[in-house]
Amino acid sequence: MEHADLVGLGSAVLLAGLLARLARRFGLPSVPCYMLVGIAFGPGTPGPVLVDHPGELSLLAALGLVLLLFHLGVEFPLDQVVGGGRRLFVAAACYIGLNVTSGLLLGLALGWGGSEALVLAGALGISSSAIVTKLLIELHRLTNAETPVILGIIVIEDLFLAFYLALLSPVLSAAESPAELAEDVAMSFGFLVLLFAVARYGARAVAALIGSREDELLAVLTVGLVVLVAGLSQEVGVSDAIGALMIGLVVSRTEIRERVERLVLPLRDVFAAVFFVTFGLTIDIADMDAVAVPVAVAICVTLLANVSAGIVTARLFGFNQRAAANIGLTVLGRGEFSLILATLAVGAGLDERIGPFIALYVLLLAVLSPLLATHSRYLARIMPDRVLRPGWRYVREETISTSCTHLDQIRVTRTDVDVCAACEALGDDWVELRLCVTCGHVGCCDDSPHRHASTHARESGHPIVQSLEPGEDWRWCFPDETLVRAPLGAQR
Amino acid sequence: MGQGVHVQDLPGVGKRYDIDLGRADQRISVVMRSGGVRDLYVFASDSADPTAVIELSEEQARKVGAVLAATFFEA
Repeated sequence: MEHADLVGLGSAVLLAGLLARLARRFGLPSVPCYMLVGIAFGPGTPGPVLVDHPGELSLLAALGLVLLLFHLGVEFPLDQVVGGGRRLFVAAACYIGLNVTSGLLLGLALGWGGSEALVLAGALGISSSAIVTKLLIELHRLTNAETPVILGIIVIEDLFLAFYLALLSPVLSAAESPAELAEDVAMSFGFLVLLFAVARYGARAVAALIGSREDELLAVLTVGLVVLVAGLSQEVGVSDAIGALMIGLVVSRTEIRERVERLVLPLRDVFAAVFFVTFGLTIDIADMDAVAVPVAVAICVTLLANVSAGIVTARLFGFNQRAAANIGLTVLGRGEFSLILATLAVGAGLDERIGPFIALYVLLLAVLSPLLATHSRYLARIMPDRVLRPGWRYVREETISTSCTHLDQIRVTRTDVDVCAACEALGDDWVELRLCVTCGHVGCCDDSPHRHASTHARESGHPIVQSLEPGEDWRWCFPDETLVRAPLGAQR
Repeated sequence: MGQGVHVQDLPGVGKRYDIDLGRADQRISVVMRSGGVRDLYVFASDSADPTAVIELSEEQARKVGAVLAATFFEA
C-alpha cells in the first residue's frame, strides 16, 4: 500500500484551521483562509511546501465537495421559500439576473472563451450562503426588516445553483456538436427530474434504507449512499455536485432529516476545508499578477450589480435606504460556490487563468464584504430618496417591521360597531367582522357569504383591514397581500 | 402564539419571535436558530440598533427561561 502523506495533510489542515480562527477575530470568513493556506504552502508558490502533489488529496477533496452540496440539500428550507411569496421570487430573480448577467458579460469581454464566460457568470453571480448568514448573525441584524428577504434571496440562489450546475456540466464536458450538447443537457435535466421524482415519491424508501436508530450506522449509511449517488451522477455525465445536492433534497423530505443534518455537519466542515485547501494548492501565486486587473474590474462590477439589486429589492418591499444598502452589501460575499465552479472549470481543462482569477476574486471579496456590510450606513446616507418608493416612511423610522407599505394609512383602530350593516340590510348572517382602518367601515370577512370587507377595500382603495374578533390583533393588507403587524414600539 | 408575540421565519437560520412589551421604547426579540442557539435581542431605546444582543446555548436559555417563568427553585 502506498504511503499516505499524513504529515502534509495534517499540517495543512491544522494551519488552515488556525488561520481561520485568527481571521474570525476580525470577523473575516473562514473559507478564503483555507484556500489561502493551500496557496501559500502549495507546490506552485515559493517557500515551504506541505503537500507536493495536490492530486493525492483529490479523493478527500471530492468528498468535501459532495458533503458540502449534500448538506446544502438537506437543510434546504423548501417550504419556507415556496411560502415566501411571489415578491421574494421577483427580488431573487432580479438579484440573480443582474449578477449573473454582468458576470457573463464580463466573462465574454475578457475573451477567454464561451465556457469560461459561463463559469465566471456563476462564480461572480452566486453568493455564499455561509458567509452571508454568518455576517447577519455577527452584525446583529437578525431582527432587521430586510433580513428575511436577504435570507430568502440566498436560499433561492442555492436552488438556482442546482440548475446552473445542471446546465454547466454538459457544457464543460466538451461535446463535439450542438446535437450532442443538446443531448447532454437533456440527459442532465432528465436526471434532475428523476431525482426530483425520487424526492417527491421515494423519500420514504430512502429513509427506510438508511434510517437506522443508531447514530453510527446512520452516518455510515448516509455517507455511503451520498457518495454512491454522486458517483453515479458523474457516470451518467451529470456532475457529482448535483447528484449530492439532489440526494440531500431527498433526505430533507424524510423524518431523519434533522439527525442527518446534525451528523453530517462536522464531516462536511472538515472535508470541505480539505476541499478548499486542495483548491488553493493548485493555484500558482505567480499567476495572480496576470489576472489582477480583470479581478479589480470584476469586483467593481459585482459591487455595482449588488447595490442595484439591493435598491430594486428595497423598492419591491418598500424598504428604506438603510435596508437597501444592507441588502446590497451583505449579499456580496462569495465563497464556496465560486470555488466549486472554479474546480469544475479546472477539472474540465478550461483556460488556466480561471483558477487564479476566482481565487483572487474570492479572497478580495472575503475581506471587502464584511467591511462594506459593517459600514453600509454610509452608502445609505448618499442614496437619494427618489430611487426608493415614497411609501417607506414607516420603515425608515423603524427598521424592524413588516413588509407592508401602507402603514401610514392606519387611522382608525377601534370601533363600537359590532354588526355588518350591509349584511343586516340583506337580512343575512356573517362569520367574522373586519374593520377598515382607514375609514372605520365594518364589514364581514371572506368566509362570510357576501365578503363585504374585501368588497369595501376594493371599491374604496383602502388597503388594510383589522380583525374585530375578540382576542385577535392581526391586520391584513390587501395590496401587499401580507399580514401586517402593529409596528412594535410605535405609538398607538 | 399568544397576543403580542409575532413569529417570522428566517429561511436557513430559524425563527424570529418579536415580543411586544406594550411600550414605545422597549422590545425584545428572540431568534431561535435551527442549531439550538438562541439570540436574545434587547431594544431599550428608540434606535433601530439593538441595545444588547446575547447569544444563549440551549442550556443557558433554559436557565433564563426558568427564572423568568418563576419555575426555578434554588436547591
